[in-house]
Amino acid sequence: MATTAVDQTHGGPGPSVPAPPRPRRRSRSRLALRNTLIGWSFILPNFLGFGLLTLIPVLALFYLSFTSWNVFGAAEWVGLENFQRLLGDGSYHTALFNTLYYGVFHIPLTLVSSLGLALLLNRRLRGVAFFRTVAFLPYITSIVAIAAVWNMLFSPEFGPINQFLGALGVQNPPGWTTSADWSMPAVIIVSVWRDMGYYMLLFLAGLQTVPGELYEAARVDGAGAWSRFRNVTLPCLRPTTFFVTVLLTIGSFKIFDLILVMTDGGPGQSTLVLSQYIFDKGFVESQYGYSSAVAVSLFAICLTVTIFQFVWNKRRDA
Amino acid sequence: MKRTIPAVGLAAALALTLTACGGDTTDETPSTGDGGTTEEMGDEPVTLSLAGWSLSTTPEFQALADAFNEEHPNVTVELAEYSAGDDYDTQMIADLAGGTAPDIYVQKNLRNFYTYADGQQLLDVSDVAAGLDPATGGVDFYEMDGASYAVPYRQDAWLLFYNKDLFAEAGIDEPDGSWTWDDYVDTAKELSDELDAKGTYQHSWQSVVQGFALAQSEGAALDTGDYSWLAPYYERSLDLQESGAQESFGTVTTNSLSYQAQFGTQEAAMLPMGSWYVATLIAQQESGEADEFEWGMAPIPQADASTTGTDATPVTFGDPTGLGINPAIDEDKISAAKEFLSFAAGEGGADALAGIGITPALLSDTVVDTYFALDGVPTDDLSAFAFSTHDTRPENPVSETTAVVQNILGDAHSAIMSESDSIEDALAEASDRAANEAGIG
Amino acid sequence: MATDVTPAVGYRRPPRKLSDPVKKVLGYGALIVAAALIMMPFVWMIISSLKTNNQVFTIPVQWIPDPVVWRNYLDIWTASDMSTWLQNTLILSVTVTFLQVLTGSFAAYGFSKVVFPGRDVLFLAYVGTMAVPWQAFMIPQFIIMSNIGLNNTLWAIIALQAFGAFAVFLMRQYFVSIPESLSEAARIDGMSEYGIWWRIIMPLSVPAIASLTLLTFVNTWNDYLGPLIYLRSPELRTIQLGLQTFIGQYDAEHALIMTGSVLSIIPVAVIFLLGQRFFVEGIATTGVKG
Repeated sequence: MATTAVDQTHGGPGPSVPAPPRPRRRSRSRLALRNTLIGWSFILPNFLGFGLLTLIPVLALFYLSFTSWNVFGAAEWVGLENFQRLLGDGSYHTALFNTLYYGVFHIPLTLVSSLGLALLLNRRLRGVAFFRTVAFLPYITSIVAIAAVWNMLFSPEFGPINQFLGALGVQNPPGWTTSADWSMPAVIIVSVWRDMGYYMLLFLAGLQTVPGELYEAARVDGAGAWSRFRNVTLPCLRPTTFFVTVLLTIGSFKIFDLILVMTDGGPGQSTLVLSQYIFDKGFVESQYGYSSAVAVSLFAICLTVTIFQFVWNKRRDA
Repeated sequence: MKRTIPAVGLAAALALTLTACGGDTTDETPSTGDGGTTEEMGDEPVTLSLAGWSLSTTPEFQALADAFNEEHPNVTVELAEYSAGDDYDTQMIADLAGGTAPDIYVQKNLRNFYTYADGQQLLDVSDVAAGLDPATGGVDFYEMDGASYAVPYRQDAWLLFYNKDLFAEAGIDEPDGSWTWDDYVDTAKELSDELDAKGTYQHSWQSVVQGFALAQSEGAALDTGDYSWLAPYYERSLDLQESGAQESFGTVTTNSLSYQAQFGTQEAAMLPMGSWYVATLIAQQESGEADEFEWGMAPIPQADASTTGTDATPVTFGDPTGLGINPAIDEDKISAAKEFLSFAAGEGGADALAGIGITPALLSDTVVDTYFALDGVPTDDLSAFAFSTHDTRPENPVSETTAVVQNILGDAHSAIMSESDSIEDALAEASDRAANEAGIG
Repeated sequence: MATDVTPAVGYRRPPRKLSDPVKKVLGYGALIVAAALIMMPFVWMIISSLKTNNQVFTIPVQWIPDPVVWRNYLDIWTASDMSTWLQNTLILSVTVTFLQVLTGSFAAYGFSKVVFPGRDVLFLAYVGTMAVPWQAFMIPQFIIMSNIGLNNTLWAIIALQAFGAFAVFLMRQYFVSIPESLSEAARIDGMSEYGIWWRIIMPLSVPAIASLTLLTFVNTWNDYLGPLIYLRSPELRTIQLGLQTFIGQYDAEHALIMTGSVLSIIPVAVIFLLGQRFFVEGIATTGVKG
């Protein structure tokens, strides 16, 4: 391939080009036009579907959050009414708190466990294909089965988990999914267990971009495993880590199906999260406009956190 | 209606399509009285589409369609299949919004009826309702602002199922129709003491406690913001699970227990449940999934002695299942559709339903006879009385706030039953939330 | 590899506490225990699929089915349209995955290797839509879809899934990590952008393509809400939608649901087993080495 030419070029499009004389400026704008056309030609096939079926409905959602739409009929403009209502809505505050509670634990725990799995299973190990498949199995197992089994494991009286804790001498084992205090930790445990295989896969792909020579060099320098991880793996993995963190943050704040089948938001409102609140308001109570406003607030939270991550990532890059 | 259209091009354009789509249906004025039942139907072939769910396991829709086609050979009723459970409403709401819903669709329960009627997704069928047998149960549940928007064809009511063999084994008298809830709780405890099995099985649904409380308590209503009438019903339920006469709520939910297995495999001697369970239990005993044992039906226990005994009418609850017409239906199909509604809610539909073990809304003597002629239905007097005599109140009285309040009370239910909250605190919080979220009180 | 490296003078092996074989056995032991724990729900699914319906949920939990109902694995084919469901799901998963990988990586090239005005804003819009829960905008989307007449066809699911932002985001992040010098060199050699995408960038992105393929396949295979909203006809049902038909209004065929779930996992597990071998150290960097 074109590898012979590699060493002849340095870096990308140079910002160090001196101010070009007039005739070349025209050719430069032609180059910009050409780039725009080429860029769009790459994006367009995907954008046709994305724009029509995702972007436009999402923009519609933003519009609807300022209306009192009830799914049927016309959407009446109500200005900021829905958003003002959010401020005084106790259930919304509960859902918001629970979503953040879930995210604060789910995101770091999943990040660490999936990275750990990926590092463990990224070697020439006998049976590695089997172990990788096992790690991924929770993600492909039917969510209904997952909810049924874990609820059973968590069962306060008959569940193996509490029997085990009892054997260890724990006096008052938690009520897990049947207790308002312990239902969220139970949900977090299950979702970390379920998601770690998924993110492990993304990390595995990212680990393949770490040049083997760097490890060799580090090894020759006498670097230990931890030091190799700190100084070689992590820096090379940064684009993947960034991607996984953004994805995980968004996925975590949007958590819906697992909670729905495991606790349905209960007991009480102890595991009610924003996504379920959006669904309930929209589909059960047909307050679609209000439900859209909740969705917009969820979007704003995700965006804020993501932008923080962007900035952080840029700073580390610099 | 006045709408401000913001200058944001794309969003506005889409908003217009949205309203235009919704407008398709809202523009059509629901046709009033003159069509329908009284008008002669033509002989030209008509095809109506009817929504149903899980068709292979739910034969009632095909039974109605076939029976109707026999009487009206020129009208073919085609079934459109939807998912069961809450998914039915999710799919139906999408189809109505997208303009792809069938001509006639089922009102699965009263909880979502308000959404459809208020959203003008149901044709006024007051004329059909007016022409129905006055004995039909639940007709007036579908009234809003003086007009009817659906008619009931099926009306399940909650009864007390009991295992005669287990009662005999324990040496305890079977229910005789005179029970109040206190009698029921006492008997459940006695049964648990005598048997390996539990005295009763109350499933984890909120309606198992709240449905009865709403139907039987003096002055109880969902839209008052005062839910203290639930307290005695919760005290009894907690008493049952604390005394071990009933599996605890936590055990039921975490082990995904099913009431069919608990009662069918004789893990519990009694079961408050809807009359739909009759057909299931018979089928499961036949297939061997449920044990062979003698069972019967008794009236559901009452709040006090004033409504007990076989000379009184016991009060119970149950939402009817109804049929309504999609306003987007072709103008020339409306009379056939209305004809179908009055057939389904009338004697013809009732007979077809009773013949497959389903409780029709119209329980005339011939319909009851058809039902009890089925193989496996218990034929003792109390079962017949329990099945055919009851004052059935709606679980979800139709109102703008019902869906919101039921959500709130559902949270209170799981908080109380899991003993995360005291009854008092949970009900007080429900009142606060009703004020905050539904503007009640 | 390691044997080629001659230790530099003065290089000292770090002290080892355990000998290699013991370490290995312990390591494998830990892995096997962890695997067993992770697989527990899966094992329970298999056990439940061999029970009768009323035995699935009992107290206490019954870990050994009695009697063992092998018949479930025959009955499910006759009691339901399992083969139709599998066929539909397979068609959807393969088509969606193919289109997703193709259009996603194509667009990702535009977002990572071509510089033009508005690019980053557009990319932000892509990522931004991921932060909106689907159930919040599915009704507007459903209205558009029914206006173009796609609902209640398999095309609806294809159109829905094949153009997601996820693929673009994943591939773009990977493309960014490929040194710009490679594309630059090819440009100087006179290769077109499309040529660079196909002959340089794509071959270097095998691990990313593999993970995108696997994740897209699994997500389409297991999707429930999408098919629920868009598909009605029984002959269009996917496996997840089909399994849901075992849950009736008041009761559920738990044993058959578990049987179907076990069957539905097998194809995905096989595909994963085949696909995971692309995650091998060094595969991505072979092209970079001169």
